[in-house]
Amino acid sequence: MSNPRVTGAIRYAQDVEFEGMLYASILRSPHPHARILRVDASAVPDSVVVLTPDDIRELGMYGCQIKDQAVLAADRARFAGDPVAAVAAPSRREAEEAIDLIDVEYEELTGVYDAVEAVSQGAPLVHEHHYISDNDAAYFGMRPQEGTNICHRFRIRHGDVDEGFKHADVIIEETFRTAGAQHAPMEPHASVARWEGGRLEIWTGTQTLFNLRMDLAGIFNIPENQIRIIPPPMGGAFGAKTFVRYEAIVACLARKAGRPVKIVLSRYEEWLTLNRHPATLRVKLGARSDGALVSKQVECWVDTGAYADCGPGVAQKMGYAAVGPYRIPHVRVDSHCIYTNLPPNGAFRGFGAMQAVWASERAMDMLAAKLGMDPLELRLKNVLVDGDHFCTGELMHDVHFIECLKAVANKIGWADNRQGKGLCVLMKGMQTPSRASIAVEANEDGTYTVRCATAEMGQGAWRSMRLMAAELLDVEPERVFFPEPDTDIVPYDTRTTSSRSTYMMGRALVEAVRDLKQRGELGYGECVNKGGLDPDTGQGIASTHWHQGTAAAEVRVDEETGRFQVVKLHSAIYAGRVINRSGAELQNEGSMIMGLGTALFEGITFAEGQPTNANLSDYNIPAAGDLPLAFSHDLVEREGAEVHGLGETALPPIPPVIGNALYSLGIHVIDLPMSAEAVLNAIDRRQQRQGMDAGEEVDRNKSREGRLEAERRPYIPEAKGSQG
Amino acid sequence: MKLRFKVNGTPTEVKAQADEMLLEVLRRDLGLRSVRATCGIGICGACTALVNDEPISTCIFLAPLAEGCEITTVEGLGGDHPVQQAFEEEHAFQCGYCTPGMILTIKQFLEENPRPSDEEIRVALGGNLCRCGCYVKIINAVKRAAATEYISSQS
Repeated sequence: MSNPRVTGAIRYAQDVEFEGMLYASILRSPHPHARILRVDASAVPDSVVVLTPDDIRELGMYGCQIKDQAVLAADRARFAGDPVAAVAAPSRREAEEAIDLIDVEYEELTGVYDAVEAVSQGAPLVHEHHYISDNDAAYFGMRPQEGTNICHRFRIRHGDVDEGFKHADVIIEETFRTAGAQHAPMEPHASVARWEGGRLEIWTGTQTLFNLRMDLAGIFNIPENQIRIIPPPMGGAFGAKTFVRYEAIVACLARKAGRPVKIVLSRYEEWLTLNRHPATLRVKLGARSDGALVSKQVECWVDTGAYADCGPGVAQKMGYAAVGPYRIPHVRVDSHCIYTNLPPNGAFRGFGAMQAVWASERAMDMLAAKLGMDPLELRLKNVLVDGDHFCTGELMHDVHFIECLKAVANKIGWADNRQGKGLCVLMKGMQTPSRASIAVEANEDGTYTVRCATAEMGQGAWRSMRLMAAELLDVEPERVFFPEPDTDIVPYDTRTTSSRSTYMMGRALVEAVRDLKQRGELGYGECVNKGGLDPDTGQGIASTHWHQGTAAAEVRVDEETGRFQVVKLHSAIYAGRVINRSGAELQNEGSMIMGLGTALFEGITFAEGQPTNANLSDYNIPAAGDLPLAFSHDLVEREGAEVHGLGETALPPIPPVIGNALYSLGIHVIDLPMSAEAVLNAIDRRQQRQGMDAGEEVDRNKSREGRLEAERRPYIPEAKGSQG
Repeated sequence: MKLRFKVNGTPTEVKAQADEMLLEVLRRDLGLRSVRATCGIGICGACTALVNDEPISTCIFLAPLAEGCEITTVEGLGGDHPVQQAFEEEHAFQCGYCTPGMILTIKQFLEENPRPSDEEIRVALGGNLCRCGCYVKIINAVKRAAATEYISSQS
């Protein structure tokens, strides 16, 4: 038995130790929005190294898509949890005690905690002005709106939606909301930094070693080759371990201390580090009486929190994902990435598609109901096929929506009875543009060494790469060595995100092995996918490779209490050619289970900017007992097909299949997560719609309805300055 | 204060603060890195160790309470325990962070209930969370381990 995950021998970033290493702790703003007037660390003992705003003023700003973040919140804290000072001490306990000895004087400012409110008249500005972008993770032009909290605005203009709606026989309109969520990787963020002769070395759980190195070079104003990033395998990441997290703070402390410094976050701090974007989406969708879609309008308000991180990319992806995999002659999308005084939101498995698919696929079932049409028929009639053009203008190829839809419908017994059942189809883009490169060396003993930057976070990427290399080299997998990534020894890769590694790095590997066979000792391969969208028109190439999937669910509802059970859950995901079967199955199953959490109970709650459920007791993640009894999935394979990325595709369809299953019973839930209370409220609204009569029953419903309306936003204002 | 207990069969003596949790002592002083901090409040099970054959969340178990106890971590199973083998054969893990806690919980569970039903397995896993969502294969691993009937053959 050798698998280090089973013997416990695997070492994560939190296990990295050095002689004389110090432990870091961070002092965070207790206020969601405050001016920092004074930071006094004079009471901290000399044995403790302190980092205060005065230490970082000379350093560069950072941010993967917009450089809006300083190493510490120097003058202004923008969320409750914004780092204001940090310490490094010989033990964790001493570090935590030292934090309490730092005295900070704040002047509280008015905050804003909702993306829709943040673009309304008179909303406080989270940042006084907008910032530049120069990381290679900023792969499209930013469209910040001066004088507003909008840091990016993405548009799709395809056809003429107003004209389109004139020709629609049926139109539906709805506003959907999704809650913020915590990635909650079992291993918290952990980093160790040390300086060796002017060179910075960092061991850190990261999916984005080269993007991180670039931002750190900007912060410290040193060449990138003076920084070495080593990502040990991660204990889960799901998008949380991307770009700069605490690496800059530990690097500053290590430089000041002249010793290695380590940080391991507490669970509470995870909620203050990176979450999933809460979003509001308004959808208007029109069709002819035969079900042919004619026009679609989508507006997205995407809450990126206090710092942009990759929120602009999320807003962009949400924008085009909300169109759905359909032929629609007229499309207009306006997606706004908006600052608020909440902790930063960033990459999260599903990357904008989850929020978009929730709104878009729930809207499809609303339309089907209004048309009096079978939701499956409506989808089959409109879904993209090979040779169609998406609303971005790009030509669709290798399209498999119809076969995936038929597979799930068949599995759920759709033809027999549709009561309590729901369907969903989705397409999710892969990072475009991007570049993957890889090197293969033939060793003298007949083994091979493969070097690439693909990070391992549990998704099984290293096993997949090893299996692919073994197949191409025609040797046993045991003869392929795969040194852990290290920016000093691996060639450039955009990053390990967007389910791109098996596909992109796999293609680069084919080139590298071909090169090796020609040259003998060393082969190098590269795969570049070109494209991208014009942020003002949404025209171009959204993705060179589409993740395609479908799902179906069946629910059973207790109408007295609103409690419901997902009795069946199935997904069919297009896999093309499967490399690592158990890994592929685990990705599908894991995505579906995470999607269940999103659908049923995961939602971060805030009270005036303070997270109120930032622990794994108040914030539940799925346990074994949460699995539906009938839980299954298909990897849809085709002989000779391309490899398809599978890391996320099965997550976004889970909330809408459950929402649509409820909707088939007249229970219209529009916000995630779908709590029993939300379902009960929706049951009450259905009773009212059906004119279920008089007396006490209606009074009870009315008062509940009134409260619900008060909790909801009364209006959705236009973003100011977003014209032109 | 000085603490004496048996860890994976070896009599051990460590110095610890009276208010320290067993997790800290196992990781920091004894280098047992399979015992892992996650939630800090005894919910997730990643820090599970067996204390006198009971699965314990060591993140909320005061180290002095382990005085005189027998403590088992995955390092003590050697690597070829039937539950470990079943995990490997079923590919019942992704990142592996929760795996040692899962294995210890299941080991103890099967010793008490060698022929569990599906429902009993789901309940038994309630205190061990896996964010990668490997539950389907973890449940399969429990069944596979149970099917080897190693418990009766050992006794």
